Amino acid sequence: MSGTSRYWSVVALATCALLMFIAESVHTQNAPWAWAPPIHTIARGKVEVVPVRGNVHMLVGAGGNITIHAGNDGVIAVDAGAADMTEQVWAAIQTISRRPLRYIINTSDREDYSGGNEALALKGSTIPFRPAEDARVSDGMRGIQKASIISYLTAFERMSAPTGKVAPRAEGAWPDNTYSTPQKKLPFNEESIVIMHVPSTTDGHSIVYFRTSDVISVGDLVDMTGYPRIDIQAGGTADTVLEGLNRLIELTVPNRKSEAGTLVIPGRGRLVDQPEVVYYQQMVAIVRDRVKDMIGRGMTLEQIKAARPSRDYDLRYGTNTGPWTTSMFIDAVYAGLAKNPGGELR
Amino acid sequence: MKQKRSTGVTAFARGVLVLVGVTLASPVSAQVDLAGLWRPLARNQDGSGMDGDLAGLPLNEAGRQRALSWVPENFEVAELVCRPHSFDYSIEAGPSQLRWVPEVEDSTQRIVAFHGRLSMREQESDIWLDNRPRPSDQVRYSWSGFSLGEFEGNTLVQTTTHLKENYLRRWGPMRSDRATVRTRWKRIGNYLRATVIIYDPIYMDAPYLRTSLFWVNDPNLVLPPYPCEEATGTVVEPGTVPHSLPGKSFLPAHDPNMTDAFGTPYEPRLGGVETMYPEYIAKMKTLPRPKTVMGEGDRGQ
Repeated sequence: MSGTSRYWSVVALATCALLMFIAESVHTQNAPWAWAPPIHTIARGKVEVVPVRGNVHMLVGAGGNITIHAGNDGVIAVDAGAADMTEQVWAAIQTISRRPLRYIINTSDREDYSGGNEALALKGSTIPFRPAEDARVSDGMRGIQKASIISYLTAFERMSAPTGKVAPRAEGAWPDNTYSTPQKKLPFNEESIVIMHVPSTTDGHSIVYFRTSDVISVGDLVDMTGYPRIDIQAGGTADTVLEGLNRLIELTVPNRKSEAGTLVIPGRGRLVDQPEVVYYQQMVAIVRDRVKDMIGRGMTLEQIKAARPSRDYDLRYGTNTGPWTTSMFIDAVYAGLAKNPGGELR
Repeated sequence: MKQKRSTGVTAFARGVLVLVGVTLASPVSAQVDLAGLWRPLARNQDGSGMDGDLAGLPLNEAGRQRALSWVPENFEVAELVCRPHSFDYSIEAGPSQLRWVPEVEDSTQRIVAFHGRLSMREQESDIWLDNRPRPSDQVRYSWSGFSLGEFEGNTLVQTTTHLKENYLRRWGPMRSDRATVRTRWKRIGNYLRATVIIYDPIYMDAPYLRTSLFWVNDPNLVLPPYPCEEATGTVVEPGTVPHSLPGKSFLPAHDPNMTDAFGTPYEPRLGGVETMYPEYIAKMKTLPRPKTVMGEGDRGQ
């Protein structure tokens, strides 16, 4: 082999080796993904901020979801999360706005939603009628160093107690601003806010409609992580949940292609829109109808559970552990139907 | 002689270099441009065609129960009238024209995304090729979901998450919002093949795979709009949920005594992993044939 041939052969081999190296590198970069790619989830004990639309954010990870509306007037929180998460909740709010927390609106009296009432309210202050140093007015007209807590009257009654009785919750956690009308309007941050009494999992449930932003915060009327937590003792039934969901569906308007538009912040789980509220309503109605049919055929609660009337939804919404199991959900559906045996299937 | 052999080796080596040069002239991680308008090649959906037929679907017990509770009035629920097909369903289900528009990064001239649109109920899909992070699981899910893509050779592999629940066929079987859809797009000359694999841990026992072919790249293709507005005069009263109670479905495929013109047995119409495979045909021949043959007018979509 001549020197020239040897030269070209060496160059060709070196080039081939380089090409193989490049090809191998590319192959490594393009390694097939696992069939379920990793998706970021909220770590336990952490509170994360999810932007919703405009001035509205969702805080996830503090028990029930918390809705934050921030603007020039200050901050409104829909629900306060669990009692032991207040510092994380407050730190998350501070990343959205440094304006004062003015209101906490409780969608219900449940601990996951109102447990942080007392500690979180103390982080804020009400809007004063007069400056604190104004000696001409009574204390009641000066600003109070505590955010106002709004709820439907029944939710207040469940947290408090008549004089002489022991209240379930400390006084500082009680709502100081209740309503007992169908709705309460609250203009704030140039947002038209309507707080609506919508009995559902309890009879004292509220939903909060941010009309300008077209966002509705609904508490545990919708739970994307599980079956609705119906509290029979607090006046909830499958039927009241369905009435609440139907009301919510009436309020929501999707954009073209049947999605987005009015956004719904559920009590737990991810942000949703109208079609997913409809799916949730259909799930509750179908399970309710099956249990009602089984009752009508003379089946006992144990027989109904054995027949698994929610079997097509259990993998998605059910669980056998934790504070709200599939069995407890069926118990509640059954008990609600027993309370209203003549109710029409809707 | 030695001189001739040496010349031959040199020529061979130079030839290798030319080939290498040509190879390097193309990008190593070859991006194949899917841009253009694609006309679908019509195909039949799986199964017998009887309304409610679940044959060929790897449904688990939950998926089957869900499907058996479906009634046609479900599509008349006012809020669901404008519900679009999902992208993966539209690829399979019929004459759905498709358009892919590439998004090219100016500085590198690399394709960083494909934006797709299917005329069947106007579904859109963005496939991001820039390996951006997937959104968290707390954001709103959509009918088209969130897709990342990468090339494996000359095949574009699209992996979609964040999908709203939607139907696999328009008579009950559903894909849940926990599903991942992987679609392999391969351009073969003027043909485009889409292989859709659905992984659904909620309603399936195994991945469900479908392949569709887009017939020809047709620059004159028209993608018509699909305007839709909420219906107010449907047969379903607002707030009601139409469904069948267990064992009460009236769809022909769910009737053990009814069959189609081919004498399809009842069992395969309930679906399951086994019914996906050709080997199942031999088993079907051993199963009893229902006696009542449905009329032509009863035939489904």
